[in-house]
Amino acid sequence: MRETVVRISGLTITVVYAVLIGWLYARQPATIAEVTGGLSAAIGAYHVDQQAFEDGLQFFRRDQFSEARAAFARADPAQRNSRTQFYIAYSYYRQGWGRLYQDDELYRQGIEAVDRAIALAPAGRIVVDDPTLRIHTADELKVELDTGMRRDASDLNPLRIFRERK
Amino acid sequence: MTPAREAVYLPLMALTVALLGGLRIGAPVVLVPPSLFALVLGLLLMGVLVQSGALAPDRLLSESRPPLANVNGFGVLVTLFFASAQTFAALTPDSGLPRVLFSVYFLVLMLNTLAARPDRVRVLQSLAVTFGAAFVLNFVVLDALSDPEGGRLKRVLQVLFEGITLGVLSQPVHHPATGYITFFAIVLFLVTLSSLPRRLPRPSRGLTVLQPADHDRGQLPR
Repeated sequence: MRETVVRISGLTITVVYAVLIGWLYARQPATIAEVTGGLSAAIGAYHVDQQAFEDGLQFFRRDQFSEARAAFARADPAQRNSRTQFYIAYSYYRQGWGRLYQDDELYRQGIEAVDRAIALAPAGRIVVDDPTLRIHTADELKVELDTGMRRDASDLNPLRIFRERK
Repeated sequence: MTPAREAVYLPLMALTVALLGGLRIGAPVVLVPPSLFALVLGLLLMGVLVQSGALAPDRLLSESRPPLANVNGFGVLVTLFFASAQTFAALTPDSGLPRVLFSVYFLVLMLNTLAARPDRVRVLQSLAVTFGAAFVLNFVVLDALSDPEGGRLKRVLQVLFEGITLGVLSQPVHHPATGYITFFAIVLFLVTLSSLPRRLPRPSRGLTVLQPADHDRGQLPR
């Protein structure tokens, strides 16, 4: 009887440990916060810090994008919330946008963030109902960022200076 | 072998090796899965262990054992395979000519060991020496040759060395913590190997020694 208990316990522990290792290899969390956040999200216990998120929104609307990202990172330390990641990507877009040129590095980070947001959202669909934004879906934001990174003849169009930031 | 060792200790030790062997500390922390070649080397090592008697698969999987015990035994084999592959992956440099050389060295070593048919003790000793040497070369020698920090003389020597070798030996320098973690993983792997169920000596079918008392009982031919 005791042997059976030991064998079943060992098997259970081994399977759980193996699944955890497989999850770590698949997700590649870079920080302890991402590990704990990912594990709590797996059991549905992960929550965004609402106060920090609201702080981030206030900064975002005042065009203080670095401060906004710091607050969003505090709100979603494990990078598990698609809406927060959408705003982070949007902050990279707005900060990197220029009438004559875009900041490629910020746009690249924006693409990474919007890809994270899409991966986290159910069925990859994100619609943010925020009247202060001009882009409401992750798909539009991703296209905007991708377009900014592309080099083509339209970059030489002088009418580009009349376009507006979204 | 006790059920606890088979069901708990061995799989957990092997899984820990599989986890730590892929850990690369840096910014960010990365978990590197074993390459396909490391999987092949891991399989060859399993073959070496079985052939030498360091691992007796029939003591983990057989018809005479209860199904639950067989499941535990299968778990040991699977986790040991991944631990073996990850150990080779951890000891192989990340790029360039050293990666090719280490891979070929490990492959030849495994094939040679299979052909030589050493016993359990010699295989374990050989693996300890091989893994130890590979660790020193990868984490001490190559890191020292590739480290860009240091005095002017060291940098001059490095430039000369890179010029002579056409830069094919330079590697990304490991974070110090990666070396410590890999060292611990290798030691744990060797402990795991030495704790595996070994092949038992076969019962003797030779002469039966009879005592004089047997003669008195009429058990010896006259």
